[in-house]
Amino acid sequence: MSHEQSQLTIRLNGCLRTAPVDCRMLLVEALRDRFGVTGPKVGCATGDCGACTVTVDGAVTKSCLELAVAAEGTSVVTLEGLADGAELTCLQRAFWDEYAFQCGFCLSGMLFAAQDLLSRTPHPTDAEVRLAISGNLCRCTGYDTIVLAVRRAAETRPHS
Amino acid sequence: MIPSAFDYASPVSVAQAVGLLGERSLVLSGGTWAVPEMNRGEARPTVVVDLRRAGLNRITLSGGTVRIGTTCTYADLLASDVVARHLPLLRAMAAGITGGQQILNQGTLGGSVAAARPSSDALAVMVALGGRAVVASADGERRVKARDFFRGPRRTALGDRDLLVALEFPTAAGLRSGYVKLKHGQSSWPITTAAVLLGPLDGQGQAMVVLGALAGTPVVVGGIRADSPVTEVELATRQAVDSVSDLWTDVLAPADYRAAVAPVLAVRAWRKAAVPAEGRRS
Repeated sequence: MSHEQSQLTIRLNGCLRTAPVDCRMLLVEALRDRFGVTGPKVGCATGDCGACTVTVDGAVTKSCLELAVAAEGTSVVTLEGLADGAELTCLQRAFWDEYAFQCGFCLSGMLFAAQDLLSRTPHPTDAEVRLAISGNLCRCTGYDTIVLAVRRAAETRPHS
Repeated sequence: MIPSAFDYASPVSVAQAVGLLGERSLVLSGGTWAVPEMNRGEARPTVVVDLRRAGLNRITLSGGTVRIGTTCTYADLLASDVVARHLPLLRAMAAGITGGQQILNQGTLGGSVAAARPSSDALAVMVALGGRAVVASADGERRVKARDFFRGPRRTALGDRDLLVALEFPTAAGLRSGYVKLKHGQSSWPITTAAVLLGPLDGQGQAMVVLGALAGTPVVVGGIRADSPVTEVELATRQAVDSVSDLWTDVLAPADYRAAVAPVLAVRAWRKAAVPAEGRRS
């Protein structure tokens, strides 16, 4: 059993990292305040808005619904782990080109939700895109440009 | 940060998990409800027992019974051939879970059943399918029928030292099913749900209609058969609604609204079950 401070080790964006965490911390808080990655945002902290979305062992996850200590030994990818240096991913480029974000608060979560969809459904319909981002709230765009961006990414990204 | 202090435990067996339970313990299955509840200070456990390393994430079929471990996520249900073949009603419910792929990946059927929130999708479906809760304690294992398991809003047959380890369902292969829920926003909790199971296509046999989010616990509609006309289904549902003494009210809808929509939803779910998808208009 662990009480208060303990060491959390995760593979974060490909690198093995360890930091002290309080067992009362949410995963999103540990990522931001202990590991220094601020891509995942704290929006609602109730699992509704999706701004804290990351992948944990490959599965898209709302990191406000996870205790940090429960992530021990997992592999976590945040927004910071998507682009290759200054080179945006095809999906990020499409969000840029379609003006699919304004304030940017939802962007990280939207990218993960969209990436997850495209990995399962390379050529989604608009309805499938809207369903895929239904766990992510945006208060700027009205969603239309986000749908356009995901469609553009589906058309332009390289397929293996 | 969660305001109150607690010990975190991640047991690797049921026996270990049961040994940690007590008056102020909280069991974590998916965490989608329990973690925010702790974060808001509404739940203040002294011990958090995280089940996710306890080996309760398997779906198996044996002797006509499908067993679903407590920590199986909704994504696990959707990926399961056993669920697709033997419990299509459960699959239809899982496919409509609110909150995006993230919640499908994180939310668990066992967690929803144990939390017994009246507006959850899971409760009425569990009753419709004739499910049983497999409960472990220091005294051993026991099984509780779904209809006896839900005792009231957020109240179940689980005691402080009981652990829900699995849900069991008789196979429903060959039965036709329909699931409908009313919600006014994509990200909303259901306002009322209707789950229908009908006997084989020969027009004879059993019919099960269960309404969720209507009352403190699921409401079973009696007195109908698989070959009943929809007018009878609607009438029977009205009678069932009239007999409910604890209609549910929350910020989404008052009790009388839920009572008014329940017969409509029951008929819609009935039609989904009764009419093959290709013959349906929508």
